[in-house]
Amino acid sequence: MFELLNVNFKNIIRYPALKIDEYKVTFICGKSGSGKSTLLKLLNASVSPDEGEILYHSIPVTDYDTVLLRREVILASQSVYLSDLSIRDNFAEYYSYRGLPSPKDSVIREFLDLCIASFPLDSNCRELSGGERQRVFLAICLSFLPNVLMLDEPTSALDEVTANALLHSLTHYCHEKKITLIAITHDLALAEKYADDLILLPTEELK
Amino acid sequence: MNGIIVLNLWQFGAVYLLLLVVLGIMKKCHIDQTKLLVVGSLRMTLQLVLAGLILTYIFKNPHPIFVLLYLTSMMGMAIHTVLSRNKGINSRFKLIVSLSLVLTGLAVILFFILGVVGVSFFNPQYTIPISGMIVGNAMTGVSLGVKTFHETINSQKTKIDTLINIGASPKSILIPYVNKSLETALLPTLNSMLGMGIISLPGMMTGQILSGTLPTTAILYQIAIMIAITAVTCLAVFCSLYFGYHTLYNDKNQMLI
Repeated sequence: MFELLNVNFKNIIRYPALKIDEYKVTFICGKSGSGKSTLLKLLNASVSPDEGEILYHSIPVTDYDTVLLRREVILASQSVYLSDLSIRDNFAEYYSYRGLPSPKDSVIREFLDLCIASFPLDSNCRELSGGERQRVFLAICLSFLPNVLMLDEPTSALDEVTANALLHSLTHYCHEKKITLIAITHDLALAEKYADDLILLPTEELK
Repeated sequence: MNGIIVLNLWQFGAVYLLLLVVLGIMKKCHIDQTKLLVVGSLRMTLQLVLAGLILTYIFKNPHPIFVLLYLTSMMGMAIHTVLSRNKGINSRFKLIVSLSLVLTGLAVILFFILGVVGVSFFNPQYTIPISGMIVGNAMTGVSLGVKTFHETINSQKTKIDTLINIGASPKSILIPYVNKSLETALLPTLNSMLGMGIISLPGMMTGQILSGTLPTTAILYQIAIMIAITAVTCLAVFCSLYFGYHTLYNDKNQMLI
């Protein structure tokens, strides 16, 4: 579904040719500096490479209306942004940016449960821990039901038990709903456990 | 009504004694801005003496070219001031800010001089001082509006990136900041209208009254100029930001900040 050909980003990162398949769970691993986060930003065309091509369904990503592409291919970035409002209001805020009406409480609860974040909808996001905020944010992203969900270090702030529970639930749901899941992690053990495909990015400096 | 008492040089010099009081207090409170005070008051004196001489000459020898030259240098200084207070913005944004300042300023000046006062645009006695007030206030407003916008955007990069990545359009992300910055830029002008005539007698009105104009005439001018100032501030800031925010992203909807 995604294809990278000779992609060179600012002469700092040169990606190997790679493919990401539809409906699968693909994990991307690599040392810091190997360009994992940049890869996801290249895939949703929020940054552009200096050379090479990125294809989505065989068409260059920049040939799409990039806003619509990013609605289809959602990236949950590593830095979580939530307002100091209730969980319900944060859902509403994100939905309004997407031009959608606020979701029903039952819908919010469904996705919070899926992301192991079953907190009361009135709880203020300011009072949640880093890991809890990350899961609430993931629930918001997932609730848009994209074709592709890209996660940048979804388990970075989680303990092992919660991380496993989250990935178990997410991979299950995505398989069931035919959502292609692409996730970055530095935790190879987790990746091997949940991935259908695993991409290892080499760290090679370009001189 | 009497004409104004012309200040003689000795009487005038006495007012500088007040600066010594300021200087004394600054020394006592260890405010390390004596240089600014001295340079500021010297520059003010010099610039105003120059303006006085030039305006006297222009009023005695009125010619359209003098009015145009004066207006041009006024606009130039205003643009320079706004841009030097907002160094971080990109060059297309700078161009838009400059154009907005000039075009909205000119439009309001023309409307005021021709439509409201009803004298010739090339009458220096009206056009120059009124343009000064209009351009000066537009400058302050735009400066504040663009600064607020630029600083807010820079402090909200995480939020902006996050929203871009979930498929929000740059427009829907940036417009709330445009609106908020416009509000911030307008508030000082709106607030200053509240106290007018009670807490403060504004400068133009005071000047006219001192020169012997009937207060009833002076207030009409004051009201008119306040409304013109509000309008030009609103227009100039709106155009600067509304056309300017498009320079923050490209045709692939990638943020350029």
